[in-house]
Amino acid sequence: MGNFGYLMDGFATVLTAHHLMIMMIGVMLGILVGVLPGLGAPNGVSLLLPLTFTMEPISAIILLSCMYWGALFGGSTTSILFNIPGEPSSVATTFDGYPMAKNGQATRALTLAFMSAGIGALAGVVMITLLSGWVARFALQFSSPEFFAVYFLAFGSFIGMSDNAPAKTLVTMMLGFAFATVGMDTISGSLRLTFGIPDLIKGISFLVAVMGLFGIGELLLTTEEGLRFDGIKARVRPIDVLKTLKEMPRYGWAILRSTLIGIWMGITPAGPTAASFMSYGLARRFAKDKSKFGKGDPRGIVSPETADHSAGTSALLPMLALGVPGSATAAVMMGGLMIWGLTPGPMLFIDRPDFVWGLIASMYLGNVVAVLLVLATVPLYASILRVPFSIVGPVIVAIIFSGAYQVANSTFDMWLVLGFGILGYLFKTLDYPIAPLVLAMVLGDKAEDAFRQSMLMSNGSLTIFWSNPLVSGIMALGVLMLIWPLIAKAAGLRGLRRHTAGHQAKV
Amino acid sequence: MAELEKQFLSRKTMEMVTALLTAGAGLAICYGSWRSGIGWSEMGPEAGYFPFYVGVLIILGSLVTLLRSLFFYRHEGEVFLTMEKARSVLGFFLPLVAFMVISLLLGLYVGTALYICGAMMWQGGYRWWIAALAALAVTGLFYLVFEIGFQVPLLKGPIEGWLGIY
Repeated sequence: MGNFGYLMDGFATVLTAHHLMIMMIGVMLGILVGVLPGLGAPNGVSLLLPLTFTMEPISAIILLSCMYWGALFGGSTTSILFNIPGEPSSVATTFDGYPMAKNGQATRALTLAFMSAGIGALAGVVMITLLSGWVARFALQFSSPEFFAVYFLAFGSFIGMSDNAPAKTLVTMMLGFAFATVGMDTISGSLRLTFGIPDLIKGISFLVAVMGLFGIGELLLTTEEGLRFDGIKARVRPIDVLKTLKEMPRYGWAILRSTLIGIWMGITPAGPTAASFMSYGLARRFAKDKSKFGKGDPRGIVSPETADHSAGTSALLPMLALGVPGSATAAVMMGGLMIWGLTPGPMLFIDRPDFVWGLIASMYLGNVVAVLLVLATVPLYASILRVPFSIVGPVIVAIIFSGAYQVANSTFDMWLVLGFGILGYLFKTLDYPIAPLVLAMVLGDKAEDAFRQSMLMSNGSLTIFWSNPLVSGIMALGVLMLIWPLIAKAAGLRGLRRHTAGHQAKV
Repeated sequence: MAELEKQFLSRKTMEMVTALLTAGAGLAICYGSWRSGIGWSEMGPEAGYFPFYVGVLIILGSLVTLLRSLFFYRHEGEVFLTMEKARSVLGFFLPLVAFMVISLLLGLYVGTALYICGAMMWQGGYRWWIAALAALAVTGLFYLVFEIGFQVPLLKGPIEGWLGIY
């Protein structure tokens, strides 16, 4: 049975009233966390994850992935109506989305954003449908050294491709690895890095780290920047939606280009934020008439939105097929899969095709549901943002601490959230990237196991990572990614790397 | 100038403090790994083998950041936090800590109710009965969603026991 047959089976699993219901709940919750300050997609998924431990894995992943789509849409909504990016990846949408909405064309801006986002996401899912089986089959020949090489490639490209100082990326990433090793060592059974604190024996959960770093850290940052929400009243009129739909084909070229950027950046761990900035930058560079950019140019909305969502979706390909997530949210979801006893990676396609293809089918439906729901509910969510922060802030804090407690029914985790919150605030204000830390925490055990098993195979010689063409190829690519900034500097390509870096807001 | 310096926490200082902090964490990680053995045993690499090098990389990265902020600093003269911002951050952070401590003592439901009520009264300037009503509503919602909807218990304290809720 080919991928298509599996996909049809997947649709059969997903197209039940129960699962459609879960999809809608997921999308609605996702839009909510996308809209609220301090609650982003990674944090929202982390908070919801402990609540899904009792659910069927397929239902749970549908809920979580739909929350992810919803959060991406919610982020765009606040970017356009309030000039506040709900998600870091929707910062680029504010550049033209907010001016257009301010000119009285809020419906047009929202429709452009949601439609192009939907197209980008669907393109990402199609790519996953076509490629995932192939990538997984390819990855079946991997053994420990190859897996370590893939992790090395992922982390190497994080350091090389990131906007942030490489040394800072290295530090946060390695801190993530260190947090992952705390507690019982799975191979020797001895305790590591617990420093005699009994509460650390069970280890530090990545969920707690995400809640602190993303949740509390972001809230502290939000209070610092002061909270004045000058929102634009938005009433979505169906006639305006239809009018905008008619102009969509005009941006076909921009959409195609942005989709490709998004898919590429999503598969490599550059992630949706980088993709949307790059796509915006290229749209402006290639435009004949640049004068309207920043004042509400439709291309300035379509391009970052398409790239953002296609990257967000594509980030699930390496997660599913290789076990290497492409974004912080994908990392959290992967951690969830592991908690449910499913190991992402090539074997998942063989052991649980029903699960994999059910998830992929739900991605098609989920995104369609998300576009429709978000268009229908924009006014509702816009009114939520008008609730004063003195109410919303404490409620979010209470939700985060309740969520942290639920991870393992441990009060110690609440202290950890507080600590991670301060750390997150410090890191964010000083431009330390946080996503690598989360990725390293989720992947830490697997990377370490792959490393130690390779060492066992070679009796402690690092040459095993260059012992056959496959592993050497991946390692070479990893090294190339790692030293990419140096190469780019040498070749004078620096300008190409991230010409919009100046726009990067502190979100 | 002296007046200004009193009000600002410069970014450069914070940058160096953070780098020293991460370097310290790196040292602690190296020490902890060294205690669990960083060598090679008959079972292969010992437990501390991998984290030890992780710690070494953290120290290296921190040193680079420290040196860069000392000698090649791009954000010269930038402000990390002004008094005004510090006040609003602390105004949010201190009640948050209080909420956590109260929750540890009295349970998360009581903590949440008191926290929301307090924040609305003192920060939002709402009248006490509006704040109390909102706090009760939110706490009730938490109870419905967590305890009944998803059937995951939250931390409870003596007051719930005294009321006989669980």
